[in-house]
Amino acid sequence: MSVKILIVEDDKQIRGFIGYALSNERYETMEAGSGGEALRRMEEDRPDIMILDMGLPDMDGMEVIRKVREHSLLPILVVSARDREKEKVAALDQGADDYLTKPFSTTELLARVRVAARHLDQQLTDRSEPTLTVRDLRIDSDKRLTYLSGREIHLTPMEYQLLHFMMQNAGKVLTSGAIINELWGAGYGNDTQALRTLMAGLRRKIEKNPGKPEYIVTEIGVGYRLKEG
Amino acid sequence: MERFRKLLVTAAIFAAASLIGYGFSIAGFPDASIALVYLLAVLFAVRQTSSLLTGLITSLAATFCFNYFFAEPRFTLTVNDPNYYVTFLVMTVTALAVSTLTARVRRDAQTAREREQEAKALYTLTNLLSDAPNMETIEEIAAGAVSEGLQCGAGCLGFDASGNPEQTYIYKPYGRERSLIRREPEEKEELLFRLNHLREDHYEGEEFYDWPMFSEDKILGVIRIQRADMEKMDPSQIRMLHAMLDSISLAMDRFRTAEQRIQSREEASRERYRANLLRSISHDIRTPLTGIIGTSEMLTARLADEPDARQMAEHIRKDAAWLHSLVENILTLTRLQDQGLSVAMETEVVEEIVGGAVARVAELHPDHEIEVELPEELLMAPMDAKLIEQVIINLLENAIKHSPPNGPVLVTVAAGAADWLRPGAGDPQDAGGQGAASLRDMVMISVCDEGTGIREKDLPHIFELFYSVEHHNRSRQRSYGLGLTICETIIRAHQGLIAARNREGAQGAEFAFALSQQKGEEIQ
Repeated sequence: MSVKILIVEDDKQIRGFIGYALSNERYETMEAGSGGEALRRMEEDRPDIMILDMGLPDMDGMEVIRKVREHSLLPILVVSARDREKEKVAALDQGADDYLTKPFSTTELLARVRVAARHLDQQLTDRSEPTLTVRDLRIDSDKRLTYLSGREIHLTPMEYQLLHFMMQNAGKVLTSGAIINELWGAGYGNDTQALRTLMAGLRRKIEKNPGKPEYIVTEIGVGYRLKEG
Repeated sequence: MERFRKLLVTAAIFAAASLIGYGFSIAGFPDASIALVYLLAVLFAVRQTSSLLTGLITSLAATFCFNYFFAEPRFTLTVNDPNYYVTFLVMTVTALAVSTLTARVRRDAQTAREREQEAKALYTLTNLLSDAPNMETIEEIAAGAVSEGLQCGAGCLGFDASGNPEQTYIYKPYGRERSLIRREPEEKEELLFRLNHLREDHYEGEEFYDWPMFSEDKILGVIRIQRADMEKMDPSQIRMLHAMLDSISLAMDRFRTAEQRIQSREEASRERYRANLLRSISHDIRTPLTGIIGTSEMLTARLADEPDARQMAEHIRKDAAWLHSLVENILTLTRLQDQGLSVAMETEVVEEIVGGAVARVAELHPDHEIEVELPEELLMAPMDAKLIEQVIINLLENAIKHSPPNGPVLVTVAAGAADWLRPGAGDPQDAGGQGAASLRDMVMISVCDEGTGIREKDLPHIFELFYSVEHHNRSRQRSYGLGLTICETIIRAHQGLIAARNREGAQGAEFAFALSQQKGEEIQ
């Protein structure tokens, strides 16, 4: 059974080419031009993934996310012409899974959709895999060991936790807030300084050149993403 | 004339008193009642004047009249009974006391009347001033009120918000109704110098006195009064002048403050409107750009078998991408200007920002190799990460644009800024060495390409808005313009340094910027 994707976007042309690009990749697509229609489609057609434009004619994208999250965990990929980092973080914190700023390349869009589809599979299977692999990076979570191209690398416990969390969410953007929450707990607040330093240390161990990262890329003002491909 | 009239009235009063006294003496009333009639006469006489001398003279006159007309022997100044001397003395002293008291009452009444007039004049002035719709009206009212209230010729010169005198001042000569004269003040520098070096609260010139009015050290205006008029003024008039100056300067200050408030409100709303407009334009451009870029990508993929058509589709995508970067730059510039060039800085890991920018550019230009050289130590610098990312992206885009196809671009991060970044470096007059310590405390990011470099005559203008360099080998000419200008604006807002030069010992150009480094705790 193919993955069903709901495209919520009021601009017909954009809806058209996204639909075309996705059907080329053998996804099943359906379209909605407004928030109300999107919510109706959600109930009637039960899509697996939602691509959501934030600027809809009838309601704000944030409201759509909130309403969908009341009863569904489907991956939501936001595409928006709003480029303020605050707005991206707000959408992600509201429950969106990923974010693309318009204009975006089709390659980028397809990559994000693939990530969402893969996480869909993971939701069905066991999430606590003993080994996580992203390209040449491998984590053995039973033994708490990390390998890069087959060679073991030594990480501090915090670095290990950070990498483990990022690998669990490979391909997805993680907000600094979400990472801090995971590593230090909810009471830690939003002190990104410690995270930046920790991240710099981790990168020096896994990246050939931290100035040209191949694994963990920074989405400035939003958070970090572990690249899959 | 007035004096003569008063003298006549006094004489008449005394004549009447003497007649009544004569009647009393025929009726056989005692001398004391006649003396009392004379005292009454003194009282009436001094009511006309507040002068003490008049009081003394009338007192003596009353005594003499009594002596001459009624003391035996009558119609002589001699007396038979020496007891009369006592009567004369008591009478004179009483008359004197009565006249003095009366004169004082009169004087007090006079002062009270004057005060009341002053208060009334000031009240009217304040009232008029509070309704004044503009500075010129304030000046007209001020000149008129001073001229009328102090019976002199008076001028008023206003100063604008930046402390410069206006082109003309308003002069009101005394007496003539409503004849305001506009005059040109003397040299501005001279006037300002004089007013800025005052030792007293006013300036005494050869022809006139200048009374400046201030509000918190800022000059609002000057009241100018003829020297001759000024010298005639009594203390009560000077007091009146001060009170008027106070209320005029208050009115001017109030007007200036209101004017400034309106101006800044208008400016803010204009700014907001402009920013909103640009933002919504940028937003509205993004949506169709998404369609163009996405669709042309799909087309490129579908036209794999038709090289010509494929290339056309590819061109559409590239142009759209270029348009997009232009929109982004306009947005950034708008935001920067919105915030008055102030940036919200946070301490960032420099290599992280460089990495983020390089990753984004590499995605768009897969055929150009971007090398990144980092130092061993982890460098931190306070910055607005999003803006600095944009600077690096712009510099990289610029380097790629001026590189030969597939030409490599090198990004270097280093502790300490190179000397050539220093403003004025390369100037023959430059002594060098100055600010070396602050250069050492910076972190420098430089972008080098292997292109044709920058012509010497273009170098000084390279960061200017829309300065464009001609390309002989390119049919489509694009300005360096906005991208580099924005880099310069962003770096300036960060109090950093930015410069461009041709590489030494290699082909190509080098653009570099430096930011103050965060010297903090050790980083593990």
